[in-house]
Amino acid sequence: MNGKPKIGVYVCHCGTNIAGVVNVEEVVQFASTLPDVVVARNYSYMCSDPGQALITDDIQNYGLNRVVVASCSPRMHEPTFRKTLLSGGLNPYFLEMANIREQCSWVHEDPIAATEKAKRIVEAAVVKARRLEALDVKEVDVEPACLIIGAGIAGIQAALDIADAGFKVYLVEKSPTVGGHMAQLDKTFPTLDCSACILTPKMVDVANHSNIELMTYSQVEEISGYIGNFQVKVRKKSRFVDMEKCTGCGACAEVCRMAGRIPNEFDEGIGMRGAIYLPFPQAVPAKYTIDKENCLFLSKGKCGESPKCKEACQAEAINFDLQDEIVEFKVGTIIVATGYDVFDARKKPEYAYGVYDNVLTALEFERLVNASGPTGGKIVMLERGKKKKKKEGEEVEPPKVPKSITFIQCVGSRDKSVGNEYCSRVCCMYTAKLAHLAKDKIPDCEVTIFYMDVRAFGKGFEEFYDRVRREGVRYIRGNPSEIFKRGDKLVVKAEDTLTATPLEHETDMVVLSVGLVPRSDNREIIDLLKLSQSSDLFYLEAHPKLRPVDTASDGVFLAGVCQGPKDIPDAVAQAKGAASAAMIPMASGKVKVEAQTSVVNEATCRGCGFCVAVCPFTAIELVEVNRNGWPVKVARVNEALCKGCGACAAACLSGSIQQRSFKDIQILPQIQALGVK
Amino acid sequence: MVDVEKLREIAREVVSREDVRQLIGYRQGTYGFRARPAFITSPEEVDQLIFSPACVNNLATYLTLEERLPVPRGQEPDLRKVAVMVKGCDSRALVQQMEEKAYERDRIVVLGIPCTGVVDMDKVEKRFPNVLSRGEIALEGDKFVLSFDGKREEVPKEELLADKCKRCRYPTPLVYDQLLDEEVSRFADDDYADVLALEKRSAEEKWAYWEEKFSRCIRCYSCRNVCPMCYCEDCVLDRLNPQWMRRSVDISETTAYHIARAYHLAGRCIQCGECQRVCPVEIPLMELNRKFYKDVEELYDYEPGTDAEAPPLLATFKVDDREDFIL
Repeated sequence: MNGKPKIGVYVCHCGTNIAGVVNVEEVVQFASTLPDVVVARNYSYMCSDPGQALITDDIQNYGLNRVVVASCSPRMHEPTFRKTLLSGGLNPYFLEMANIREQCSWVHEDPIAATEKAKRIVEAAVVKARRLEALDVKEVDVEPACLIIGAGIAGIQAALDIADAGFKVYLVEKSPTVGGHMAQLDKTFPTLDCSACILTPKMVDVANHSNIELMTYSQVEEISGYIGNFQVKVRKKSRFVDMEKCTGCGACAEVCRMAGRIPNEFDEGIGMRGAIYLPFPQAVPAKYTIDKENCLFLSKGKCGESPKCKEACQAEAINFDLQDEIVEFKVGTIIVATGYDVFDARKKPEYAYGVYDNVLTALEFERLVNASGPTGGKIVMLERGKKKKKKEGEEVEPPKVPKSITFIQCVGSRDKSVGNEYCSRVCCMYTAKLAHLAKDKIPDCEVTIFYMDVRAFGKGFEEFYDRVRREGVRYIRGNPSEIFKRGDKLVVKAEDTLTATPLEHETDMVVLSVGLVPRSDNREIIDLLKLSQSSDLFYLEAHPKLRPVDTASDGVFLAGVCQGPKDIPDAVAQAKGAASAAMIPMASGKVKVEAQTSVVNEATCRGCGFCVAVCPFTAIELVEVNRNGWPVKVARVNEALCKGCGACAAACLSGSIQQRSFKDIQILPQIQALGVK
Repeated sequence: MVDVEKLREIAREVVSREDVRQLIGYRQGTYGFRARPAFITSPEEVDQLIFSPACVNNLATYLTLEERLPVPRGQEPDLRKVAVMVKGCDSRALVQQMEEKAYERDRIVVLGIPCTGVVDMDKVEKRFPNVLSRGEIALEGDKFVLSFDGKREEVPKEELLADKCKRCRYPTPLVYDQLLDEEVSRFADDDYADVLALEKRSAEEKWAYWEEKFSRCIRCYSCRNVCPMCYCEDCVLDRLNPQWMRRSVDISETTAYHIARAYHLAGRCIQCGECQRVCPVEIPLMELNRKFYKDVEELYDYEPGTDAEAPPLLATFKVDDREDFIL
C-alpha cells in the first residue's frame, strides 16, 4: 500500500472489563491527536457485528489503510479483526492490536495511571501501524491422509471416523496389538458393560477397514514438513513372524522353551508368556510376535538343537532373518493419541508396593478380575516371583481367596510429594467398579476403600457410587500413612478423618488406585512434532476451552489421555473431535500458511547457522550463493514451514534474519513510544 | 621454545604449496620488543618469521577480517587455503569460528605452537621504558631474557607473564596440521578469582566501577575490530536504520555498546584477551567477558572453542537446561 498512512483507532470497552478501569473516552481523545490517525472511536464490544461494522464503514468513508484495535490480547481476536479488514478491502496484515485488557485494565486498579498506560500502549500500536507492510497469504494443498499415532480407544475411534469419511488413515501402534489400556479392563464404569465386548469389534474394524493402513509393532521415526504435507517415516519392527503366513494358531507359543517364564506386559506382569506370544487372545492383528530380547535363538544364538517354534509352525511363518522395515508416506494431518502410563506405585514407598506380594496396582487387580486374565477372572492371593516346583504326585495347593480387600485412592494423584498435583479423574470410579466386582465375585469379602474425596461428577457416576456403598463397600475418609505386615495379614495404618480416629486396618490384599501419568516416552513425540507440555507434563492443547484438540502446530491434533486424564467416554468424544478437526483441512483441500514468516537479508547474512539450529520447524537451511563473485553460505527460509515464531530473529547476531510484521524497524519505534518521553 | 629454523623450514614448505595463498605468522616489530603479524606469500619472505614470547597477537582474527573485494568479471575468486600460526589460546578462536561455520576446516592450514606463555607488553614497557631499538625476548627456564641495546636482562617469568597465561587451560593448540614443538601440558588453571571478586560487589559498587571504566571509552572500536569472534560482514553497530545505538560518545550509548558486545560474545568468547590488550584507555573488558565465560561454564558445562563439532551454545536447547536463574 502506497501513500500516507491513514489510521483508524478503535478502543473497546469490553463491557466493563476495560472501561471499568480505563477512561476509554480519554484514550480516544488522545489517540485522535497522534500522527496519521484519521479517526478514533470507542465502542462497547469491538468484536461484535456492529463493532466490526464501524471499522469496515470507516475504511470506506475515510479511506483508512491501517487499523489499530485497542482491546484484548491478539490471541483470541486478531483473526477476527483481520477478517474485518479483509472484508473492508484491506490487507489483513495492516491490523495492529493494542492489548489494554490483559496488559492494563485487568492488572491495574488506579484508573488514572491505567488510563495513562493505555494511552502509551495505543500510541505504541499506532507507531507500529504506520510501518506495517502488506503480506501475502499463501495457500498449500492438503494431502487427504491422516497419521494417527497410538491405537488405543482414542486412536481407534479417530481412525474409524476419518476412514469412514473417505480419507486415508495410517494408524501406527507401538505394541503388537491395538486396543491400548481399554483392552486390559474388565468392566467399564458406571454401566458395567464389558470392556472387551464394546472394544473388540472396533479393533477388528480398524484392521479390516479399506481406508486404514494399520501398522502395529511400529514406531514413527521421523516427521518433517507442515500442515497438508507431512513426510512420515515409520519403522515396522520385525516380529520374526511372516504376517502373511501366520494363522494365529498358537502352536508356536505352546512349545517355546521360554513359555511361562516372561512376565506378560498385557497382564501387568501377573500372567506369564513365552518369547513368541500373542498379548491376549483377542489381539488384533491375531499374529504372533517374537520378543527378540527374550528369544533364546535371537539373543543367544542357540535354542536347544533348533528353535521349537519353527518346527511347530505348520504355516512356515517363522523367519528369524526378517528385518525391520522402513515405510515412508505423506499425510496432511496428524492425530496424537499416545495415551498414558499408570503411576509407578514404587514412588510411594510407604505403601510397600513391590515389597509385599499382595499390594497390587489397580491395573494388576483389573487383570485379576478379568475373565481373559491369567487367573481366568478368579480373585486370588498372589505369590509373586516364586517358581512353582511341581514334584511328581504332589498336590498343588489351590491359591487362597482374599477375605478382605482394601483399596487406597489417589495414589500418585493430587499429591505434590510425587509432583502430581492433578486429579486423575478416573480412579474414584474405577475403584468403585473394582470394589463392586470384588463383592460380586467374593460375596463374603470385606471391601474397604480409603479415600480423600469421592469425585463422582459424570453421567451416572453418583448413582453408581451410591449403589456400590449400598452393596456394603465401606468407605473410610483418610489417606493411609503406611502399610506393614503383621503375621500373614497386611495392616493399613490410617486416620479416619471424619471421626478423627487413628486406626489400623487388617486386610489380605491392598489395591492401590494409581493415577494416570504422561507416558515415560512422551519426549519422543515432542521431539518429532515440537509439541508443548502443560505443567502436568501432558501434551498442551492450543486453548484450554476453545481449541481443546488442537496443538500449537497446525495440522497436529490431540486425542485421549495424552492431553490429560480422562475416562473412556471423554477420550472417545475427544477422538471424534480431533477426527473432525483433522478432516477440516483435508475436506477443503487447501490451507493458508503463516504470512508473518522470517526473511533473510542475504547480503549481510554470514551463514553461521545459528538460525538453522534454533528453528523448531526445520524451516531454515544454509545455501550457497554468489556474493560479489565469492561463493558464500547464507540462510534461506522455507516459507511453507515457517511458523513465524521469531526464534531465528532472536538468535541472529548480525540481525540478518527478521520476522515480517516484527522487523526491527517496526518494533524499535514501538518500544520507543512505550519508553520515557 | 619453538626452533625458528624449523619454523621457517616448515613455513617455506607450506607457502610453496600450490593450494596455499598465504601464511599468516609473526615477525619482528619496528621498534622495542614488539612483534607484529607477517603476511607471507612467497618462500623468499619466510626468513622474516619468528616466534617468541613477544608474539602476543591472535592471528585467527585475520582469517575472518580479510576483505573480499568483488571479483572482476571473467575472473575466478582466489579460494586457495590460508595458513596460520596459532598458540593454544588462538587455536580456540579457530575452533569457535569453525563451530560457527565461518569457513570449513579444509580452507586453512594450521601451524600449531605449543605455548609456554607470552609477555604482557605493558608490563615489559613499564619495566624497560623507552626502548626504541629492536629488542628480543626469550624464555629460559622460569625467566624471561630480554636483549636490547647490547644488554641482557633476566626477569622472573611470573613478573612479565600475561595474566591470561596464568590461567591458561589449553597451552597446546586444539587444532593443527603441524605442531612446531613438543606438546606443553597444562601449567595453570582458572580459579576465576577476578570474577569472584567482581561478583561480591553490590550492584551500586559494580555500577560505579563500570561507569568509571566506560566513561573513558572513546569508541575507537579496537576491541571489536581485533576480536576473532566479531566478524559480521555488516555489524549491527554500523547500521543506521534502525540505529541500535548512537555513535556519540556518552556514557549511556557507550555502556549500551559494551553490554551489547559482551552479550554477543556470551558462549563465544574464547578468552584470548585481545580486546583488553588493544584497548587504548585500559578498560578491563575481559572482566565482563570472563563473567559470561564462568556463567556459561557453570550453567551449561560448556567451554567455547574447544569442540568444532559441538553446536554453538546459544543455538542449542536441552529440556534439562538450567533456568533457575531466569527472573
